[in-house]
Amino acid sequence: MLTERIAKLKDYFFDGRHHGVRRTPEALGLDKLCEQYAAQALPAETRAARLFEAMIEAEQPCIFEGELIVGTRTITRVPSYFTQAEWADIKAAHYLHENGMLSNISADYTSILQEGLQARLEKMRVRRCTADADGKLFLDAACSCLEALQKYIGKYECCARSMGNEPLAAMLHRVATEAPSTLWEALQLLRFVHFGLWESGAYHNTLGRFDQYIYPFYEADLAAGRLTKEQAYELVLAFFLSCNKDSDLYMGMQQGDNGQSLVLGGSDAEGNSLFNELSSLCLQASCDLNLIDPKINLRVDRNTPLEVFKQGALLTKRGLGFPQYDNDDVVIPGLLRKGYAPEDARNYVVAACWEFIIPGEAMDIVNIGALSFAQVVSDSVPLLAGFQSFDDYFTYLDKMVAERCETLAGSLKNLYIAPNPYYSVFMNGTIERARDITTGAKYNNFGVHGTGIATAADSLAAIRKFVFEEKSVTPEQLNAALDANFEGYDALYHKLRFEAPKMGNDDDYADSLAQRLLDSFDKALSGLRNERGGVFRGGTGTAMYYITHGTNLKATPDGRKAGEVIPANYSPSMYIRHRGPVSVIKSFSKQDLKKTINGGPLTIELDSTVFRNEENVEKLALLIRTYIQLGGHQLQLNTLNKEDLLDAKKHPENHRNLIVRVWGWSGYFVELDECYQDHIIERIKYKI
Amino acid sequence: MKGTIFSIEDFAINDGPGIRTTVFLKGCPLRCAWCHNPEGWSPLPEMMHKPGGDELCGKEMESAALVALLRKDRDVYAMNRGGVTFTGGEPTLQTDFLCEVLDGLSGIHTAIETSGYCRETDFCRLLERLSLVMIDIKHPDPALHRRYTGVDNAPILRNLSILKESGKPFVARVPLIPGVNDSEEAMTGIRDLLAGAPGLQRLELLRYNSAAGAKYPMLGLEYNPPFDASVQPVVHQVFQGINTLIL
Repeated sequence: MLTERIAKLKDYFFDGRHHGVRRTPEALGLDKLCEQYAAQALPAETRAARLFEAMIEAEQPCIFEGELIVGTRTITRVPSYFTQAEWADIKAAHYLHENGMLSNISADYTSILQEGLQARLEKMRVRRCTADADGKLFLDAACSCLEALQKYIGKYECCARSMGNEPLAAMLHRVATEAPSTLWEALQLLRFVHFGLWESGAYHNTLGRFDQYIYPFYEADLAAGRLTKEQAYELVLAFFLSCNKDSDLYMGMQQGDNGQSLVLGGSDAEGNSLFNELSSLCLQASCDLNLIDPKINLRVDRNTPLEVFKQGALLTKRGLGFPQYDNDDVVIPGLLRKGYAPEDARNYVVAACWEFIIPGEAMDIVNIGALSFAQVVSDSVPLLAGFQSFDDYFTYLDKMVAERCETLAGSLKNLYIAPNPYYSVFMNGTIERARDITTGAKYNNFGVHGTGIATAADSLAAIRKFVFEEKSVTPEQLNAALDANFEGYDALYHKLRFEAPKMGNDDDYADSLAQRLLDSFDKALSGLRNERGGVFRGGTGTAMYYITHGTNLKATPDGRKAGEVIPANYSPSMYIRHRGPVSVIKSFSKQDLKKTINGGPLTIELDSTVFRNEENVEKLALLIRTYIQLGGHQLQLNTLNKEDLLDAKKHPENHRNLIVRVWGWSGYFVELDECYQDHIIERIKYKI
Repeated sequence: MKGTIFSIEDFAINDGPGIRTTVFLKGCPLRCAWCHNPEGWSPLPEMMHKPGGDELCGKEMESAALVALLRKDRDVYAMNRGGVTFTGGEPTLQTDFLCEVLDGLSGIHTAIETSGYCRETDFCRLLERLSLVMIDIKHPDPALHRRYTGVDNAPILRNLSILKESGKPFVARVPLIPGVNDSEEAMTGIRDLLAGAPGLQRLELLRYNSAAGAKYPMLGLEYNPPFDASVQPVVHQVFQGINTLIL
């Protein structure tokens, strides 16, 4: 249950009553700073620091009544430190990922909470003494950023004092310099550090293994009698709530796609479960708060107790679209296979959606591009008549996958990411190297989504069965039907759409073809290196491509009509008739998913009536555990009610807090573009 | 031999313990006024006019093929204290077929959802092969039972006695239909029928499904329940001492 204090604050923030304190960068003149920087020909690192300082200077401290964890953004947008003309030059000379800003990595929160800000600052100052010129430039910028953050904390301290809140002022005074010694201090420092990431212009700022790095503070406070469990819980609620205060300002592909993912659980090197009392409280806090942030991931494995799955299922029942489940038994070996060190692989967290990354150590760009399996297959169909056997045909596909991966990799040359000295402070090795994180880290791998796997595998199953084995459909007939979008080919349409083997029916015929495609993808990527010396990691996620990769695709041999959407991530086609979720999880766990370590979850939609019977929470927990035990890599579940969604389209004002899982994140349904709303409505299959 | 089935659904969460697959056998001698699965009545395959197009409902299947399909998931059943449930229609109507299937499923937890309306010999043959029986008790009064289900309840009560005597684990299910059986008298009667049953695991009271009429037009039928479907059934607290669940 929410405490009265948190319930009041939640209403206050959810209604946006704190938005009155916000100002635009234009009103503050911050948008013009880039022109000054350009006129002075300042290096990027210096600009980043200057802008960060100016932003902090312009921020106004706001402490709302009853707030335990403070820090609220009062500037609506982070302007650029390059002018538009400069950006144009950069774009002309470089490959930019998305908008060119740092994104979608995970800071090392563990060490900063152990050391405190002052110690980190001193470490940088010492290193500066022996750094080269570039190193000095970077470290000066990084030190300025950290000093600015301390100044920001100081503003809040003054504010608290002027309000007569001496305990808060004293706490803020300590965390500006010292390593936190209590849960309250740790959560407050975490809030400031994370706030700073957004303020630096970085986006998709993740929260990592919260239950691991916060637990020592929780445990110590409880052991020393400084806090009761109830008080500790209220602090966790306060921190979770704080993640929602400014999140409407955090950019993504859609409102809600802000990357504030938080990971719970996992196990240590000896296989002991790391799911602790705090992990449990976090699941409870999400249930009670009923907000989109932070987005919870639960690391599990074959030995995870059913009780943990039950707690997860209770949160699934809440309808927030999380937790997402990540299977250590698959993910860790998969990361080892791609060259991650054992201690790093075991410490993985989840990026904005589902991509597995290493906190503090990885400058991976996990969503740098996508291969559409469906497109590869679609493009090959006109050539079908030229192949003697299905295996000949598949050899060609294998080559096509390799060619497209090479083309993609070849297009990623001369990458530029705008330096971010602030974020660099919280990544490992940057101080030792005296270089910005955007220039690289221990891991510099690129991730490539693999979209439309079910559409592709189902298409191949139909081709193999009807064209090559039964010979009941000729390549000419098939192509004519696809070109005509099945107009006038009703019988063939029906046969392809409903009578061919499909992924999702636990039919090896289709499922094994998915495996072959994934193997091709893995093989194609395994020979490639990026310019930073990193490897390529293939995945099974679609991200927002499930719309574009579907609408631009002509009719396919699985009986999908032109423009029909493809399923989200690693999921069966939406129109197939399957026996139920057990067949689906069996179909989607047979493949060797270690080879798709960029992630991309099996996505299942459940009707909310599933939970009418309380016993069914446990049954859902069993189903989730089964997917994990069968070797699935990742699973996300949406609990939805179709009537609510349809009504929300008509009367959005009545459904402001209706939350859905979109492709790898949870957002408010009424804030989504219509194509994403409709995709979710289509996905409600498992009405039980 | 062949049987006629009209659906197989996995993760059937309301049909017994654990993770289960439910097989729907076609054909039923009852015509309950609240039935929501009218496609289960006729023992023969028939065309259903669904919004997405016509669909043949029901197909013949060899017992061995069904066994093979179901056995594929035995690992999932075993991991999750689940198994297979046979429902309908009225599954006992295809007892010979069902016995063959059950013989093929040895080692797997099996359950049946039945009205109990069948020959005693058939009931006993199934009973010795099943792990769990879920039996409907729709009304204790013979005349009212005939009126709302089209059949006499004497065979059902005989089979219920056999079930009670056998000690086989069972679940009793009572559909709560407004104005039909939600009187205190009817509920007390049902309670008395369940007295002295060591195998009774629990009683499930199933609220009338307000969407019951959805499939009738698809079969060219009209749904005209002879009771007021818009009112909520009354739940009487007469089942003290029996583990009761209202769904």
